[in-house]
Order: sequence, then C-alpha cells, then structure tokens
Amino acid sequence: MRYLWTLVLIPLSLAGQRFYADDPLEFEPKPRNVPMAANRKLSDYYDLFSNQFGRPGERNSELGEPTRAKGVSTLGEPMQGAWWMKRHYYKRMSLEALQLGAGGRTPPSEGKWTIVSAKNEGVTPGFTVVDGAKRMFFVKFDPMSNPEMATAADAVTGRLFHAMGYHVPDNYIVYFSEERLEIGKDVKITGMLGKKRPMVWADVEEILRKVPKTADGKYRATASLALPGKPIGPPRYFGTRADDPNDVVPHEHRRDYRGLHVIDAWLDHDDSRAINNIDILVKEGGAQYIRHYQLDFGSTLGSATAKANSARSGTYFFSWKESAAQLFTLGLYVPYWAKADYPKFESIGKFEYKVFDPERWVPEYPNVAFLNRLPDDEFWAAKQVTAFTDEELKAIVAKGELSDAKAAEWLWRCLVERRNKIGRAYFTKVLPFDEFRVEGGELRWTDLPAKLGYWGETAVDVQWSSFDNGAGRKSPIAGQSGTKLPAMREGYWCATLTSRSKKTQTIDVYLRYSGGETAVVGIDRTW
Amino acid sequence: MARSVPFALLMSILLVPAVFGQTREAEIEAARSAKEKVLAPETVTKAEQVLRDIKDQKVLERLSTGFHGLRPKIGNMVTGAGFALGPEFYRADLLREHLEFRTSAGFSFGGSQKYEIEARFPKLASERLELEFVGSHRNYARLGYYGQGPDSLKIDRTNYRMEDTSFDAIVTTRVNGKIWLGASLGKFYSNPGPGNDRRYISTERKFTAAQAPGIDIATNYIRPSIFAQLDYRNDPLGPKAGGNYVMQYSWNDDRKLNQYDFRRLDIDLQQYIPFFNRTRIIALRAKTILTDTDRNESIPFYLQPVLGGSDDLRGFRPFRFTDRNMVVYNAEYRFEVFAGLDGAVFADAGKVFPRRGMLNFRDLEGSVGFGLRFNVKNATFLRIDTGFSHEGFQVWFKFNDVFNQRRFGTSTGQPVY
Repeated sequence: MRYLWTLVLIPLSLAGQRFYADDPLEFEPKPRNVPMAANRKLSDYYDLFSNQFGRPGERNSELGEPTRAKGVSTLGEPMQGAWWMKRHYYKRMSLEALQLGAGGRTPPSEGKWTIVSAKNEGVTPGFTVVDGAKRMFFVKFDPMSNPEMATAADAVTGRLFHAMGYHVPDNYIVYFSEERLEIGKDVKITGMLGKKRPMVWADVEEILRKVPKTADGKYRATASLALPGKPIGPPRYFGTRADDPNDVVPHEHRRDYRGLHVIDAWLDHDDSRAINNIDILVKEGGAQYIRHYQLDFGSTLGSATAKANSARSGTYFFSWKESAAQLFTLGLYVPYWAKADYPKFESIGKFEYKVFDPERWVPEYPNVAFLNRLPDDEFWAAKQVTAFTDEELKAIVAKGELSDAKAAEWLWRCLVERRNKIGRAYFTKVLPFDEFRVEGGELRWTDLPAKLGYWGETAVDVQWSSFDNGAGRKSPIAGQSGTKLPAMREGYWCATLTSRSKKTQTIDVYLRYSGGETAVVGIDRTW
Repeated sequence: MARSVPFALLMSILLVPAVFGQTREAEIEAARSAKEKVLAPETVTKAEQVLRDIKDQKVLERLSTGFHGLRPKIGNMVTGAGFALGPEFYRADLLREHLEFRTSAGFSFGGSQKYEIEARFPKLASERLELEFVGSHRNYARLGYYGQGPDSLKIDRTNYRMEDTSFDAIVTTRVNGKIWLGASLGKFYSNPGPGNDRRYISTERKFTAAQAPGIDIATNYIRPSIFAQLDYRNDPLGPKAGGNYVMQYSWNDDRKLNQYDFRRLDIDLQQYIPFFNRTRIIALRAKTILTDTDRNESIPFYLQPVLGGSDDLRGFRPFRFTDRNMVVYNAEYRFEVFAGLDGAVFADAGKVFPRRGMLNFRDLEGSVGFGLRFNVKNATFLRIDTGFSHEGFQVWFKFNDVFNQRRFGTSTGQPVY
C-alpha cells in the first residue's frame, strides 16, 4: 500500500513543480509532422478593419492579471525553432556574418534571367525570374521618385531581423541591364482591368520604364531567393493555426511577437501586419512542419516601398482621441510626430531620430501582440536592439549600397540614436540585468545600460532563499545577502535582486544545485 | 515487498510523462498531442473571405470597368441639374493599353442630358505625347442666370436651356516631368432656349438680347487654343505641396453670325504650402478668365465667365455672377484629422467685371466657410463644404477636390463643366 502511495505522490509532486529537469529548454521539441496545411490567403483590408475596430485575440488589457509571455524557457527566452533562433545578442556574429544575413552567398547567377511571372500593378512593379542555376527569385524595384530607397531598406532591415533571430528570406541587391531578361514560355500578365493575357516584351519595357536607372544605365532591384518549401499564407498576430499541431501558443502571447513592437519601432516598420509574414511548409528528415518568416522589409527605415514613408509613421491611421483633438481645435493641436524634421534624402525617405519616441510609436493600426507586450517583453527586444554596436550597424547599412554617402551616414546615425532611445526607454522599466551566471562562487550578471554606457550601475539588494520546487515556495535564508552563493545542498535556490531606487523592480534568479554543479535555471521579473 | 519498491518507482517514472509530463518537453508535447486531436483546416471568416475575394477577383476594378466595359455612370452633370444617371462604355485596355475609349449618356431628373465620346492615346512617343479626340452633346435644361455684371441681384434669378455640341482634338506634349504644352482645335455649336425650372422665370422673359447677348439665336464656333502647364504638385489627386500653373488662350471664331467672335485667356494658379510635415496646408488659388472682342462684337452670355458655386465663391449659388471677365481668389487652411479625413477652413473672394482693366482687388464678393474632405490614398472622394456670404449659406456635397480641374483642353472653353 505504501508503494502505491509512492506511485501516486511522485507524479503529483512533479506535476506541481516549478522547474523540470530539462529546464531551461533551449530548443522547441522536434516539430511534429504537419499532415495537412493548405495555403490560405488573408485579406489585408479585413486585417486592417478587424484590428482597427474589432478586438481579435486575447488582450492583456481585458484580463485581470496580464498574461506573461508564453513559449519561452524558464529564463524568459523564446525557444529556438520554427519562429526564432538565438543569434547576435547571444553569440556575437562577425561583421561578415551580419552582412551576409540569411544567406548572402547565392545571388542570382550571371547569364539570362527568365521571367516566369510579372506584376505591372500593385504597390511596385516586379518580376519573378529563374536564373541560370534554376533558382527562383522575386525581383522588386525602387519607385521612380526614390531610387535606392526600398531596396536599401529591405537589405538593411532584413539583415537586422536575421541577426535578431527571426527567419527571413535571403535577399540581394542586384544590378542588371534589360538584355539579361527574357520572357519564359506561356507567361501571362494581368492587364490593368484584371484580365490575363500573354506577356510580351513591351510589357517588360513598360515595367522597366516605371523604375529608376542607375547612373550607368542599369536597373537596381531586390532579388529575393524563393524560400525553400511551400508557402501557405501568413501567420496572424493572434491565435494559432488550426492545422499546425506545433502551434500551441497564441501568437499574441509569444514573446518573439510581442517584442517585435520594439524592434519595429526601431526600424520604423509601421507596415508590420499579418500579410508581411509568411508561413512555409518545410520538409526535413522525412517530416514536414511550418516555419514562420518575416517578409517585405521595403516599407521600413523611411520607405513606404512605392514612395517615401508618410510623416504619420509611428501613429495609427485612426484613433478617436487624436482625431477629435485635431478636428475640434481646427488643427491647432499638432501631434508630436508631425513636428519631425526630415532631411531630404530620396534614397532614405522619411526617417529620423530626434522626435522618435519608442514609447509612443505604434504601427499603422492596432496589433494585439504588440498591445499585449509587457515590460519584460520590451526588455527582451531592447537587449537585442542594443546589442548592435555602432560599427556593426555601419557594416549592415553598407549592405544597403546607398550611392550617397551622406544618406548612408544619416541612416546609420538614425539607427544608432533610435537604438539608444530604445535602450534608455526600456531598460528603465525593469531591472536591466541579464546574462546571469555563477562565477567563482558568486552570482554574476550583466548590467546592460552600464555596459552600454547609458548610465551607471544600478544598485540592488540581494536576498537568498531556498526554493521548494514542488510547492513553489521561497524560504529566505537569514543573513544571507550579497552575491556570494550560500552553502547549498541538492535542490533549488533563489536570489532575489531588488532595486534600491525602485523597490517594485525585482528579479528572482533561480539556481539548481545538482551533482556539485550550480546552474541558473529560471528568471522572474517584476516591475 | 522489496522488489515492489523499484517497481513502483519505475512505474511512476514511466507514467509521469504520460499523465503529467515530468519534463518541459513532455509538457509541450502534451499540448501538441491535444492540439493534434482537433486539427482542422485553417480557414478565414466569411467576412474576410468576401473582402479577400473582392480584392483577388478585382471586383472593384471590374465594377468600375463594368461588363465588357459597360457600366452605370452617376452624376457628371452640371450643378443644379438634379440627380443624373446613365450608361457608360469605357475601355482603357485597347491597343495593348495604348488607347482609352469612353462614351456615355447621362440623363437627369431635371430634364438635362449629356452625351460624350472620347478616344485618348496617352502613351505616344514613350508617354511624352498624348492625343485626344472629344465629342459631346449637352442639353442642360435649367442653367441659372442672374443678369450680367457684378451688381446683378439674387432675386433676378432666371433659368435657361443650353444645348451645345462640340468636337475637339487635343494634342499635348510633356516637355519634362512638370511642364506640358499643347494645342486644341474644335468646333462648337450652341443653341440657347427657355429653361424648364418653373420655380424661376425663363431668362429670355426677363432679359433682352441686349442684356443677355445671344439669347435669341444659335451660332457655332471654330475654336483653336494653345495651353501650357507647369505642375509640380506632389500628388495631383490630393496635392499637399507644390504648385500648378495653367494658362490657356483660345480664339473663338463665330462662323455663323460673325458677331460673337471673342478671345479668352484662362489662368489658374495654385500653390500649396505645407507645414508640420504636410499635415497642415495653406492652399491658395488665383483664377481669372479674361476675354476680349473686336469692336462691335460681343460674347454670348452663356459663354461668359461665371462665378459662384462649389468651386469658387462657395457662399453663393452656382452661376450667381456673370460678366466678360472674372477673378477669384481662394485660401484654405487644411488640417489632417486622421489618415482618411482632412478638415478645412476657407475664405473666397472674387468678382466679375466688364473690362479687363478692372482686374484688381477692389469690390470683391466674399465668402467664408469650413469643410471636411474624405480621401482614399490622398485623393478626395467626398467633399462637404459649407460656405457663408451676405446672401446666406450653401452646403456642397462634391466628389472632387475643390481646385481640381481638367488640365486643359475644351473644358475651360465651354460655358459650364
């Protein structure tokens, strides 16, 4: 009978435990096979209206206790896998790796590019081509009014997103002359009234007439290597895909999606809506699963792809409060973003740093994942943004291949200053410590703003507790303060760091002592 | 019994992942297992499906395109004609999108009719040359006329019928991205008659031929013109910066009676001064029409410049003032309310006058008002303006930008457009 109780009690105690043996989990478990996942398109108009006037997803503002980010390890890091990977912040990438981005070694081959489809409408004209090595590329151009703008934005932002861990396509800036193009067999083009008809060379010429040429008479474009796998439509910023067994965390509660708000603010990616992401059904090891990509970075860094971005960038298309204020004061109330001063760089568009306020920046319309972000989500994103040094940003900006050195300098300056504003804004909302580790019998950490030179070290008090993993209860150890580890026996321990200047800001750092080894296994932040 | 202890432990270890999950991975797998049991095709709501299909199937484009180019046309009649409706055939994809063809007929509840036919070649010489042929027949049943001169009285309102037919050929060349030059040649037939609006007396019953030249007789014209435009507005559909300066000079040669020859100069200057990143705009316009004739010649009253209405003096009725010359100055302060709506406060001042030497800032009629402009992608699709003057107030619902106009060509040469 006693053994029967043992049988029952052990699982019960394990079920209630805070940490499991495999915590912190670094990677998502191997993805399950996705048996069926059909392509489903979303409506961008519906996305706009439902997010602007509806309330999709689960909103933190409507919950009594806000939901902390899910899909994260006990250290608060998103698990690596189909959504996100640890990159630059966690393991510094070389300048070369940062410049290469998601690939960087397989641009379209020399020789003829065969057009297999074309677009003479929409935001920008473009082609889909197959190069001599039979690889497919999507070719997109700059607008006539802003040579180099959208292609540079795509090149720079794509690399930054990659370095911050997101899955992105392998994009190249290419230069080519008309002679390189040829029309494939049976290629159709949609006419201005929506009818398809065979594509002829005059269509190519008409598309090329709408795009700028370089000084030496070539066309400059972004060539985006087709992603390996089958596109099945964009993931939304809320809910989960009904056909994906691996998608179990509502997107509005994913840290990698909530934190995007901060990243998008940095890069002025105000066009951050569902249709600018894509799900790809990939096959690996005989199974197929869905990988989630960020796409279309042509509308960032002052570019709105087909023209310079609007000065409205950083505010919603519509908000009751701001609209009423402007209407009833006959425009005497001027929103802060309207006061920005943009230098005239056609290859940049509208990008600045002086008026930029990361705390007030919002995308074009509400995004529930962004709205759900909490200070620890912001901290997670901000530490990635601030991980780029000035030199690294300069190297990445160089990949935008801007012919105007002053424009490149301005872009770099904006990225640096906006990065610093983000660091200063979000490192004050939580205790800005990270990279907790045990060294020489002491608990150590990195004080990020001190390391980055934003301000001096933040003073904290440290209180040690033993931690009952089953009950989730801390028991303070009398007289045990400071960074020196207490005498430990097998089990869990907790160091509570409390800011001396703001007592609500704390971090519980959990350690597991097992087999003579001490490891940091969990972090809890309050603010 | 001793053998039972390891057995129980073994069982517990084996059972834990299955029942509760003793690892984080098992916990995630449990969630995946649960989801796997309820997998379903990813779908979108009906509403989203409809909106998506509207875009994918280019429903709006098809609606505007019509059935094989045939579609209804609403409005496009002179102000005061009443609600108008009619069929239109429009194709912009002929000759591999090098020929636009349009023909339409419109009928209003007020008894007016309008028939138009137009062929346009917009992409000649690598889009540097445009050629356009336009023909129209209009039968406007109730145009307002208050008498000639700046001192005409509101109570003298009359109405007349204007029937005209015109054919014009227009050639335009783009000198560069901002400058256009062109010329037109056309034939114009006019035939005035009694108005059908019984609320007001018919014009010919109140005004004599001396007071309203041409009221009693039909004539026709050959009308060549030259024109030039400097347009550096940032977006002609919804300008927020830049300027647009248009000038047209036309010769109107009365081929039938040889007593109504005249020359006409149209000048329209627009300037848009933005501030606060184009969220606030001062829009200014000065527009004048000056005519002149040889001695003993006069200008039919219905071809004389008019003032008043939704596009110039907004506090006055349409066509409130008529004379051989006119000038109007408009100033608007526009402010963005949100991305799809602008507010405006405006002031208009203008006058008609008999002699060109009276082109000055004296004796101007004035109106002030406010308005709202709804736009999509910067282009105004609905304008609601309320104008006030000493003659009362007017509320205008219009589907165009206040200063918008056809670039040049025949429109400025006709009595109303």
